[in-house]
Amino acid sequence: MKRRLWLSLIATTLIVIAAFVGNLAASNTPKLGLDLQGGASVILEPAEDASGEDLTIVRDLIRDELERTGIAEPNVRVQGETIVVELPGVRDQQEALDAVDVSGIVELRPVVPFSRCQDDPLLGGDGSLQPPTTLGVEVPEPASELVPVDELGDEPGADQPADGQVPDDTEGMRRSRTVTTDEPVTTVAGDTASDETVIDDTPVDEIAPDFSATEFPNGNALLPTRDGQPLCVGPVQGTGEVFERQSAVVDNSLGFSVIVGLSEGEGEATWNELASQCFNGAPTCPRQDQSGNGQLAIVLDGEIQSAPQVNAPSFRDTVSITGRFSQDEAEGLANILNRGAFPVEMIAQDSETISPAAGQESLRASIIAGLIGVAIVLTFLVAYYRWIALVILGGMTIWAGTVFSVAAFVSGATNYSLSLAGVTGIIVAVGVTVDSYVVFFERMKDEIRNGRTLKNAAPRSFKMTWRTIWSADLVSVIGAAILFWLSVGSVRGFALFLGITTLCDLFICFFFTRPAVLLLARSKFMAGKRAFGLEVAQ
Amino acid sequence: MSRADQIAPTGPGRLYRGQTAVDFYGRRRFGLVGAIVIVVVTIGSLFTQGLNLGLEFEGGQAWDVPAGQDFDVDAAEQVLADNGVDPSTAQIQRRESASRSVISIQIEVVDEATAESITQGFAAASSAEADELNFEFTSSSWGADITRSAVRALVIFLVIVAIFISIRFEWRMAIAALAAMAHDVLFAVGAYTLLQFEVTPATVIAFLTILGYSLYDTIVVFDRVQENEGKYASVRMPYPDIVNISMNQVLMRSINTSISSLLPVASLLLIGSGILGAVALREFAVALLVGMMSGIYSSIFVASPLLASLRANVGRVSRREPLSGDALRAAVMGTGVSGRMLLDDTSDGSGDDDVAARRISEPDQVHQPAERILSHPPRPRKKKKR
Repeated sequence: MKRRLWLSLIATTLIVIAAFVGNLAASNTPKLGLDLQGGASVILEPAEDASGEDLTIVRDLIRDELERTGIAEPNVRVQGETIVVELPGVRDQQEALDAVDVSGIVELRPVVPFSRCQDDPLLGGDGSLQPPTTLGVEVPEPASELVPVDELGDEPGADQPADGQVPDDTEGMRRSRTVTTDEPVTTVAGDTASDETVIDDTPVDEIAPDFSATEFPNGNALLPTRDGQPLCVGPVQGTGEVFERQSAVVDNSLGFSVIVGLSEGEGEATWNELASQCFNGAPTCPRQDQSGNGQLAIVLDGEIQSAPQVNAPSFRDTVSITGRFSQDEAEGLANILNRGAFPVEMIAQDSETISPAAGQESLRASIIAGLIGVAIVLTFLVAYYRWIALVILGGMTIWAGTVFSVAAFVSGATNYSLSLAGVTGIIVAVGVTVDSYVVFFERMKDEIRNGRTLKNAAPRSFKMTWRTIWSADLVSVIGAAILFWLSVGSVRGFALFLGITTLCDLFICFFFTRPAVLLLARSKFMAGKRAFGLEVAQ
Repeated sequence: MSRADQIAPTGPGRLYRGQTAVDFYGRRRFGLVGAIVIVVVTIGSLFTQGLNLGLEFEGGQAWDVPAGQDFDVDAAEQVLADNGVDPSTAQIQRRESASRSVISIQIEVVDEATAESITQGFAAASSAEADELNFEFTSSSWGADITRSAVRALVIFLVIVAIFISIRFEWRMAIAALAAMAHDVLFAVGAYTLLQFEVTPATVIAFLTILGYSLYDTIVVFDRVQENEGKYASVRMPYPDIVNISMNQVLMRSINTSISSLLPVASLLLIGSGILGAVALREFAVALLVGMMSGIYSSIFVASPLLASLRANVGRVSRREPLSGDALRAAVMGTGVSGRMLLDDTSDGSGDDDVAARRISEPDQVHQPAERILSHPPRPRKKKKR
């Protein structure tokens, strides 16, 4: 027992000191936030005139996108006709430019026969692009099918791809409709499952992979899919704005599929107009063969991400895109649909470094004031608890070292940075950490007052104290986890540091304070001393 | 030195030894009325004055002034101060790239005349033409969807905390803890709306800190209530008495903890923003100080009486008078130890609660020797081994 306590005490101390020294040696300190350290800033200008509302949407999209790619707590705002993006801790201006290169706009274009892409190219045609005439009937991929969930059973089954079933969970959703793609990408050769929907006996044409995307004057375009295969698409009929922001999720109940919400009103109307054209095989979105329906291509920055066949004339609320996606492909598509609502294209202008707004003096003042405050607290505790307060001094030092190391590691790994609010939050955490000791020692005082020996009182008190502390700390940890998981921006940074300080408190309490107090209570050093100013039974 | 279990003659001495006998439940009206006043005042002020939202929430105006020899951040602050704008509410940054170097100043929207005057001030200070200054309106950087996601996270958090407390303790404690938490947050928000402090993202963080601190403090106190509840289970002690006993037992802990939590924050306020002049800290520290004081207060004076009221009519109605004075003190001291409370051998299992209760009310038990209060006497020390 005694050996285990010593082991815990010494191991904890050594690990914390080693981590702390290691971090210092590697000059690995917690990153500081925009207000304390400054960073880099990029100004984005819309490519064409944009309304203030559009810019607000873009602002939110950019922030979401930055957070998703791991840039924590960026400051994004609309200033005049531009969007100013400020990135904490970024020193390199090129890095800043790369980070905000998130503005792609998603377009919806019907797939049309290749014959329509044979006019004189408007641009880009360098002679290598020779759409073969046989491609007029060639659909590289089986078209996706747009079928309302509740009508799916009535569909003629012949052209139904085997994997085009409605995911179970969409059946619960009223009026949910389904789009199915059997393949996220068009692989002409070697495709077994989808050949039913490909026109029979059509020779598979291999197209030179180095063709270039070409826009034609009639609005049509020859665009590459993600495999590099070309597909001829009609004019842009809608943008990603038809989808509700951040609504696309990967559904893995039946293979991997993507379910995306339609934005209410205009978005749904645009989508349904397009869907009914494709479903009915209107000239703007012709059927690619006798059995299938028209295909709708989802285009991001000139690349076709997916070209599902439309299986229903109209949709409400949600669209489900099914197919033989891998998980990565489904997640990629969901991300594209999520960010697809950029109403205008944004062009990054110059990148600048920015100085901290609050400044070093605020940081210095808060650290000095915090240290003075903590010193007063420790003096008070030593005066109050006398010898046993040695444990508090040691424990708080170890706690501070642990928090520093963990914060340095986490902010290095995740880009979360310490803002002025975070620094003061840690100062508040000192109070909660000290409370663990106070609860413990007050309990010991009770036990001693009632006639227990110090040696006897310590383990009993710890048992009760530990119960109290984990219950109370668990609430903080739950709060930190939920806020971190669900919120954005500075609230998220706060949650991270709340979680770190609380977990460090629990860790130190069990692996340092407990052995330290238990050993001190048994030691000859304490024997004969009046603990807590009370006569201790011998 | 007197024996450890003797009653201290003075108030502070009794406090130090955990021998207080304050009837918190009997004075519950003070706490509850105070809480209601705070809530009403805060909500009233929110409706009449609202919160003074900072430029991160409301947007504002921005200038880009070319930085030069004679124009830097301090000069910009000076111009703002001359025009009656508090520089501590402004965001002033130096922005540099290969082609230019500017001081970027953001302030909350001011009227046109002031804005024009500030523009002239900047132009004069930086010896640039007024129309080179690039005067623009800026949007909020804290968009509505940040608020939305934070509120959603908060609601989910509170639901889960309520479930957690209901499982770990009981649902009435969840209600009491959440009510105390709402009280504390409203208290801090009330300070902001009454004094019209500027609300910044850091303020929101302060409110969240208060929320977490309040829950933490309340749970520490409730844990003792629950522990005592188990000890008195066989005696059917009225719930208000259990709460009273528990509050007296944790009183010293609450005082110590409040001292150690508030001192660093007070130091932030007095030393950090007062002496060292970091104004950015001031309002933040005020919010924390007010909220944390309220958090400690509400655990004892709001959450616990509320819990006792919720529980008071549950179970068998006791015929007994509530414990007070020396009887309460005896109970406070008697259950301060771990292990089950032993009232008397005869009351064990006999089901005669009132006998047991009467015993504990007898004043002579107050001076009971330690061995009789303990569930079992401390094991005699073995002779020295070596």
